[in-house]
Amino acid sequence: MSALLEVTGVSKSFGGVHALTDCGLEVSEGKIHGLIGPNGSGKTTLFNVITGYERIQQGEVRFNGIEITNAPPDRVFGLGVGRTFQLTRLFGRLSVLENMLVATQREQGWLRGVLRRSGSLAEKRRAMELLEFVGIARLAHEPASNLSYGQRKLLELASLLVADPDVLLLDEPAGGVNPTLIEHLAERISELNGNGKTFLIVEHNMEFVMSLCDQVTVLSQGTALVTGTPDVVRANPAVLDAYLGGEDDEATQRRLAVSTTGGPARPTGVTISSPIVKPAERLGGPEALLRIDGVVAGYGGGDILKRVSLDVPEGRITCIVGPNGAGKSTLLATVSGLLRLRRGEIRFGGEVISGLAPRQILAKGIAHVPQAHSLFPDMTVRENVEMGAFTIDDRALVAQRLATVEELYPIVRERAGEKAGSLSGGQQRLVEFARCMMLDPTLIVLDEPSMGLDPQTRKIVFEMVELMNSRGKTILLVEQNARAGLKLSSHGVVLENGIVRLAGSGREVLDHPEIGALYLGGAVATDATR
Amino acid sequence: MIGRRAHERTTGAGASGRRRLAWRLLAAAGLLVVAAVFALFPVAITDPTATSIAVFTLVFMVATVAWNVFSGYSGYLALGHAVFFGCGGYAVALAARDWHFKGGWDVFGLLPFAGLVAAAVAIPVGVIALRTRRHTFVVVTIAIFFIFQLAAFNLSFTGGTSGIELPIAPFTAANYNQPFYYVALAVLVLTVAMSWTVRRSRFGLQLLAIRDDEDRARGLGVKTTRVKLVAFVLSAIPVGMVGGLYFYFLGQIFPQFAFDPLFDISLALMAFLGGIGTLVGPLLGALVLESLQQYLTQTFSGTGTYLIAYGVLFLVVILLLPRGVVPTIGQYLASRRARALDPGAAREPAVRHDVAGAVR
Repeated sequence: MSALLEVTGVSKSFGGVHALTDCGLEVSEGKIHGLIGPNGSGKTTLFNVITGYERIQQGEVRFNGIEITNAPPDRVFGLGVGRTFQLTRLFGRLSVLENMLVATQREQGWLRGVLRRSGSLAEKRRAMELLEFVGIARLAHEPASNLSYGQRKLLELASLLVADPDVLLLDEPAGGVNPTLIEHLAERISELNGNGKTFLIVEHNMEFVMSLCDQVTVLSQGTALVTGTPDVVRANPAVLDAYLGGEDDEATQRRLAVSTTGGPARPTGVTISSPIVKPAERLGGPEALLRIDGVVAGYGGGDILKRVSLDVPEGRITCIVGPNGAGKSTLLATVSGLLRLRRGEIRFGGEVISGLAPRQILAKGIAHVPQAHSLFPDMTVRENVEMGAFTIDDRALVAQRLATVEELYPIVRERAGEKAGSLSGGQQRLVEFARCMMLDPTLIVLDEPSMGLDPQTRKIVFEMVELMNSRGKTILLVEQNARAGLKLSSHGVVLENGIVRLAGSGREVLDHPEIGALYLGGAVATDATR
Repeated sequence: MIGRRAHERTTGAGASGRRRLAWRLLAAAGLLVVAAVFALFPVAITDPTATSIAVFTLVFMVATVAWNVFSGYSGYLALGHAVFFGCGGYAVALAARDWHFKGGWDVFGLLPFAGLVAAAVAIPVGVIALRTRRHTFVVVTIAIFFIFQLAAFNLSFTGGTSGIELPIAPFTAANYNQPFYYVALAVLVLTVAMSWTVRRSRFGLQLLAIRDDEDRARGLGVKTTRVKLVAFVLSAIPVGMVGGLYFYFLGQIFPQFAFDPLFDISLALMAFLGGIGTLVGPLLGALVLESLQQYLTQTFSGTGTYLIAYGVLFLVVILLLPRGVVPTIGQYLASRRARALDPGAAREPAVRHDVAGAVR
């Protein structure tokens, strides 16, 4: 079988961060091809490169034998490659039906397209058929902005089908969508595939990927790690390492040893017998600085967090790990007040903080370093750090804090006058840390500090986290690199699908036999640890 | 099978069909009345002050509708359409002088030429300005506008600050305004027809898609640069034509009037007031604002008065109808109609139905 879509040797970097490194991929005609990998492994970037939204200096993309490297998006679409976006994009002020009529017909000449009245009867009928096919035909005359999240996903898919593309690239079609709809979506995709459509699907929902796809490619740090059938991919220990973070860690060694000897994967001394830990059974130790109790929260229609309870002990590092889409960042957003919780309560030092504005929570001493690059790229390093203290009027205090921060992070002094955007990814992280230290917070909330960093820089960043902790800061950390994160932390929490699945000391969580299954979904994953 | 079911949904039930027919008849009757008022206005009211206000108003209605074809539909705010207005004016003035037009109906024959000149100017201007997106585009159009203004002041063939005289039309003093009125009205009808055609074409849908999400439109095969450029050039043509008419009406052309920054802003404000991106909104906005401004200027002669009235009007619109007059009314009517058709659903749109339900 020949490859319909062929990507060879593609590299792409954004300001020092390597998103793709010599990445290759072949999608065979008529197949459903899954693309998985941890956050920041380059999946969406690869989509953008294929569909012409990102330009590359190195590598080649071919479709049907035609080179489409750096071709503009409209040309790529015209050749028969349609895509959806991770955060669904629609024409909000147009009606659902009008949204269906925007896509150009592939064979149609441009001038004829201009002169033609939009939506001839035949076109409209075809659009209605497709809306019927995905199940939203009765909403045809609603403005697209009125649709729910799941309906938007369906419309985005249907609007591509109008032009009858050969390949459909779907970016997280099941993300944030309820189970009934996921099933419906999977059925539609299978049916289209039966009619000869090829799919390339980025998805974090492992059940969805593993049950639907013929082939799965795992991306890790911008490179295609493994390609194979779902079973082969799941059984490959390197895949689990990609998700948990491998390196030279002793736990990895042990895990590999276990997988070769075939002995029991469960080490002695594991205190968690049930995968779900009730709040009352939490660990002893220091007093909880932050107490999260039965929190329910989400965006739009669905709940992402479904009753999350956990304690963050004072003066320690607590690490939250879990598969993509588990609700880790959402949990952090509810802590810092960026997202209002729907039910439950959050207490900080005994005081209820849920319901307060982010500004008020910040003033209580909780600093949040978000996942995305949050520095002002056109401001200097010094200016960025000073921004951290812009709520403080006392200039002497600011100067004193700045001196402390400079001592802690020499880079702030060394690169003071440079634009923050010119720093490498790791350096930017340190400046972000420095900025949050300007407020001298009690609790520091870190979202994926190691994301997109190479192993060496990652180590430095983790050392800095420990340094902040040694200065008396309590740290709540979300980390994709579970092994490194848990090793660093005194306490570990595994979040999956909006609930706490495991809680214990960092070591206990790391060595728990079910952690692999939580990441790769289904029972098969436990084979990898056996 | 699926197709037939879908078809029934689009055509709707009998009762609502009849209601829709009633709406259509009402709209057609309204349109006829409006057309009659416009056609008979200078016959019924012969006061030259009133008819000259009418001519100015028609000029701005044309320009605003044309501006809306590009800026309203694509969402790209152009603040340089005075370039086309001025170029149209100079095209007519220079052609009438150099080709020895007598003055009279013959000069009106130059208006299509003025439109062509505006289009010819719009192509390079559009190619340059449309390389940028959104906010930058606004700034670039303003910059290009000032280049043209500067050129008109300094180039020799424009006559610089002393301007150019246009031929005096030999119409009788009592009915001097009438020919200008009817020619402007004809241009307006053509411009509205263009706006209507664009709005209903696939091309227009692509413009609206660009307004809502340009990157996604590209991902659906829309050749966004080409679509924007064609709309930009289309919108320049009527502005050039009324530019020619306007300065023929005034009898002379000077750079400060031909390339007037207030003209740029007026078009945007008029379209905004009436409802940007709609068919009728710009018509309404220009009708109200230009006639009001002319009336206030001529009645109170003090130049500041109309600005105060302008300000009050805008405050009222921003506070009460922030999306413009036409969209707000349209939304009100739509929600009324929805309630009439489906009394149980009240004001809850289909958003409330959960996804699983929609999917069954």
